[in-house]
Amino acid sequence: MLHGGRRTDNESLLEKFKNLDFMKMDRRTFIKAVGALGASLFLQTYKSDMAKALSDLPETKVVWLHGVMDSGCTISMLDGGTPDILEFLQLFNLNLLYQEVLMMQQGIFVDGKPANTSDLNSEILLEEILEKEKGYVLIAEGAIANGPHGSGKYMVLGGKIYRDIFEKAARNASVIVAIGQCATHSGVNAAESDIVGLLDHRGVAFTMEDSSKGIVDLLGIDTPVINVNGCPAHPDWVFLTIGAVALGKIKVPDDLPEVLDRWHRPKVFYPPDHTVHENCPRRGYYDRGEFETTVGGSKCLWKLGCKGPYSHADCATRHWNGHLSFCPQAGSPCIGCVQPGFPDSTRPFYVEIEDAGIVGTNLDTIAGVAIAGGLIAAGAHALRRTVLKKPEEKEGITEDTASEEIGGEK
Amino acid sequence: MVEVTVDPLSRIEGHYRINTEVSADGVITDAQSNGLVFRGFERFLQKHDPRDAALLTMRICGVCPVCHSISAANALDDLFGVADQVPKNGLVMRNIHQAMNFIASHAAHIYILWGPDLANPAYRDILTQYGNVGNAVWGELSGRFMPLVNQFNGTHYPAGSSYVAALREFRRLHDGISLVAGKMPHPVLQHVGGVVYSPTVADIQQLIAYISETAKFVESFTLGVPPETWIENTYRASSPEKAVNFVIGHLQELLNKSLTNNDFSHSSGWGDVPLFAAFGSELVGEKLLGLPISLKLDRGGGYKNPDQIGFLSYGVFFKPEKGDGYDPTSPADSRVIPSGYMNGRLQLEKFDHTKISENITHAFYIDQEEDRPPWNGVTEPESNPDEIDYTRGSESRYSWVKAPNYAGIPCEVGPLARLLVMGEPLVTGLAKTFAENGYSPANNYTRMLARMQEILVVIPELLKWLRQDVQAGGKVAVHTELSMAKNSTGMGLWEAPRGALGHWVATGANSMTTLYQAVVPSTWNLAPRNAQGIPSPVEQALIGTKISAAENALGVDYSNPLGIMHTARSYDPCLACAIHTIDKTGKHPDRILKVV
Repeated sequence: MLHGGRRTDNESLLEKFKNLDFMKMDRRTFIKAVGALGASLFLQTYKSDMAKALSDLPETKVVWLHGVMDSGCTISMLDGGTPDILEFLQLFNLNLLYQEVLMMQQGIFVDGKPANTSDLNSEILLEEILEKEKGYVLIAEGAIANGPHGSGKYMVLGGKIYRDIFEKAARNASVIVAIGQCATHSGVNAAESDIVGLLDHRGVAFTMEDSSKGIVDLLGIDTPVINVNGCPAHPDWVFLTIGAVALGKIKVPDDLPEVLDRWHRPKVFYPPDHTVHENCPRRGYYDRGEFETTVGGSKCLWKLGCKGPYSHADCATRHWNGHLSFCPQAGSPCIGCVQPGFPDSTRPFYVEIEDAGIVGTNLDTIAGVAIAGGLIAAGAHALRRTVLKKPEEKEGITEDTASEEIGGEK
Repeated sequence: MVEVTVDPLSRIEGHYRINTEVSADGVITDAQSNGLVFRGFERFLQKHDPRDAALLTMRICGVCPVCHSISAANALDDLFGVADQVPKNGLVMRNIHQAMNFIASHAAHIYILWGPDLANPAYRDILTQYGNVGNAVWGELSGRFMPLVNQFNGTHYPAGSSYVAALREFRRLHDGISLVAGKMPHPVLQHVGGVVYSPTVADIQQLIAYISETAKFVESFTLGVPPETWIENTYRASSPEKAVNFVIGHLQELLNKSLTNNDFSHSSGWGDVPLFAAFGSELVGEKLLGLPISLKLDRGGGYKNPDQIGFLSYGVFFKPEKGDGYDPTSPADSRVIPSGYMNGRLQLEKFDHTKISENITHAFYIDQEEDRPPWNGVTEPESNPDEIDYTRGSESRYSWVKAPNYAGIPCEVGPLARLLVMGEPLVTGLAKTFAENGYSPANNYTRMLARMQEILVVIPELLKWLRQDVQAGGKVAVHTELSMAKNSTGMGLWEAPRGALGHWVATGANSMTTLYQAVVPSTWNLAPRNAQGIPSPVEQALIGTKISAAENALGVDYSNPLGIMHTARSYDPCLACAIHTIDKTGKHPDRILKVV
C-alpha cells in the first residue's frame, strides 16, 4: 500500500477540536476535524454533545426505499465501520422502520389481498407507515423508473408502480436523503444509449446534471433533498449527514442553503475548493511530471485518465472501508464517480481528459463549482499545465534523471 | 385453489416476486418467478471504449461487483488477444480478490438474507411444542438470526448474535478487498491484461491477518470446531462417505452431550452449521440422528423431474501452477473449482459454452427469434405499458428475466452446482445420501450447506495464494493498446458467488464496443419458463412442495408462506444482475460474433 506521507498527531488534533461545537465550526474547521480525525475519533470527540442531544430529542424515524439500483449503497452502509450501521442507529437514536434488505418482513398476498400483519408483511408495514407517520427521514437509494412513456411500469413492487410508492413516501418525509449516484443523478441508469429515453429512469432532484428532470420536480414534491452521491456513497458521508440532521445540527430546511452545494451535497464531504487530486499519494509524481502509461506502477495516473483533479470529494483524506485506501492509491485512475454527470461526463475512464475531447463540458461543470467556492481547485492542475507546458514531455523519465531535472529535490 | 404471492421478496438483491397457486392441503401446484424491474444496462456500453466495461459492468450488482469486473476483464483479455499472456501474479490477484468476495457474499447470504427466516414465529409455534429441546432450539434460532429490522407485537428485538458477528466479518473482508482494490463496493482492481495493483509485503500480511480473523469467526460461530479440523475431514476427506460420516458422527457426539442438559449454545460446540445440519433436515435430524423434530428443509426446494434440470459451472479461480496466461473457454482442468455440466441424474459432462442459449418466450422482450446464443443476443424491451403485467399466469409473458438453457435444459447454478461438478466430498456425499433415501439431491438444506461448505473450500485456497503464490511487487498486467481491440470478440467465463457468470463483448473497426452481453446467475436460477414450457429451476423447486413451515405442521397458513420464502431465497437471488438489457444486434445483423 502506498502512503500519502500525511501523518497527523491525533492527540494534538483532539486537543484542538474538543472544545468546539462541531456545528458551529466554520466549514474549513469542520472538514479538518472530520477529515483529520476520521469519523470514529470525530464521533468520540463529540459524543457528549450527542449524549445530551439523545436525552433531549425524540427518536428520528427513518424509512429507506430501494428503487432502480444494485443495492451497492446498502452494502456500502453495511461496510461502514466507524460507526458501523448498528452504532449509527443507536448513536443518533434512529428508528429504522423499513429497509428491504435488512428486515424480517416481505410482501404477502393471498388471493391478491395483503395477508398477515405488519410483523411479517412489508406491504402492510409500509402502508401503515405512510398512513400514520410524518416527518421521518426518507433514505432514497436507487433511481425512480418513469418509463416506458411516462407510465413508470419499468419498476413495479407489491403490485404498485414504484414511482407512486416513492411519491407518497417523499411527500410525508421531513427530508429526503438521496444516497448514491442512482438516487442523486440516476447515474448508470441514465447513461447515454439508444434506449435511454425509453427507460427514463430519474434521479430524485436531478437526472444526470439536469435539475428540471428530477422526479421531485416532475411530481411537484417540495420536500427538501440532501444528496449524498458517489458510486457508491461513502458510509461516513451518509451517517454523518443524517446524524447531523437527527441532532438538529443541520436544521432542515433553514441551514441547507449554507451547508449544501448547488448539487444539494454537504460541502464538507464534497468541498468546492478541494479535489481528490490535492491529497493524492501520487501527487508528488505529478508535480515532478512522472506518469504511468501502463497499469500496475506507483507513479501519477494522469495519463491513464485519472479524473482526480476534477473530482470534488474527500476520498484522498478519508479513504474507504476502514479508511484504508481509495482508487488512485490502489492503482486505478479516479473515474469521477461523484461527478453529477457520471459516467458520461467522465468516460472514457482510461483516456487523458484533454485527449478525450470532453474538457469543455467537464471544466464548465466542475470548475463552476470550484469558482463558486472561491478557490479554483482545478486551477492547481491548470497552473501546472501552464507552467510546465506539457507534462507528457517527461513521460518515461527515470528516477535518476527526474531528480536531476528538478534540482535534486526528492 | 388459493393464489399466494410474495411481492416483494425482501432480503435479496433487487426486486422480485413469486406467484403461486396452492391447493387446499397446502401444496404449491404452480409458480411463476417474476423479475420486476427493467433497468437497462449493457446498451450504454455500446459505441464506447470497451476497457471501461471492467469498471462499469460491476455496477450491475453492488453485492457481487467483483465477479462482474473479473468476467469483464476476462472477456477483455480475450478481446485484446492477451489472455495467454496475463502474468500469473495478475491471475493470482484476481483469485484473491474474488475469494474474499465469495466468503463475504456467502456470509451475507447465510446470515443476513436467508438466516432470518429461521427466526420466523412459525418455528416458535412448532418447536415449542417439543418441550425443553424445542424451546432451547427456538431460543438459539431467534437469538442468532433475528434481523436488524423487526417488530413483533410492537416490540423490537435485538439483532441476532450470529447476524451481528457475520456483519462484522463481512465488513472485515470488504476492508481486505479495499486494501488492494481501492474500495468496496465497486473496487477498481480489474483491468484488461491483468490487474492495476501489485500488492506490497505489508498488504499480503495484512490480508493473511484478516483471513485469520475470519477463520476465528468461522470457528466460534459457524462451525464450533477449528476450520482445519472440518476441512481435513470433509473437503479433504478420501471419499464422500467419509465426509458425510464425519459430519453425522460429529453431530451425534454433540447431541450425546446436549440432549441431557438442552444446551445448544455456541459455547457448547453448536456452531451455526451443526445446529442447522442437525435440526434443518428431516433425513439427517429425525431419521439418522433420532431427533424428535426438525425444520424439514430437505423437503423443500427440490426437483421432481431429473430430465428437466441440470447443474452448471463455468469454473472459477485460476490454477497458479499453470503459470502465465489462461484459456478463455474455461476447460475443466484450468480452474480450481472446475467448469462442467451435471445432468439431473448427477452424471458429469464436459462443459461446452456453445450449448448456452437464451429464450424470451415468457419474458417482456420483443424478437422474432425466441432462442439465441448470448454472443448474438437481441433484447428489445416491451415498451407498451399495458403489456407489462405480472398476473396473467404461466402461459403468459411474466418477467424481465430471460430463460437461459444449456442444451435446452434449465440449470441450477451456484455453490451446490459448483461443488457437485467439483466432486467436493461432503456435498457430493450429501447429494447421494438424499437421492438414495428418496429425496431430491438438490434441496433447500443441501443448497444452504453447499454455500456454507464453499466458504471452507475457499479459505485454504485463499491462504495458499497469499502465502505461496502471490509475489509482492511482481508484474500484474501485460501492456495493451486500444488498437489491439479492433474488430474483435471476447468471452469471459467466471463464477459469481451465486453462480455461473458470462460476459460477451465485440468491437468494430474503431475498437469501440458494438455488443456487450452478460448472462448472470440469477438469470439461470430465477428465469421464467422456456419455449417448451419447462419451468425454471426456482419454479420447479417450488411446485409440489408445501407452503407452510415444517411441511404444514400447524396446518396450512397461506399468510405465512415460509416454503416460498425459504426456496426462493435459497438461490441467493440477485435481481439487479438478472434484469439488465442486452445489446440490440438485430439492428446490426452483419456483426454476428464468431464463437471463439
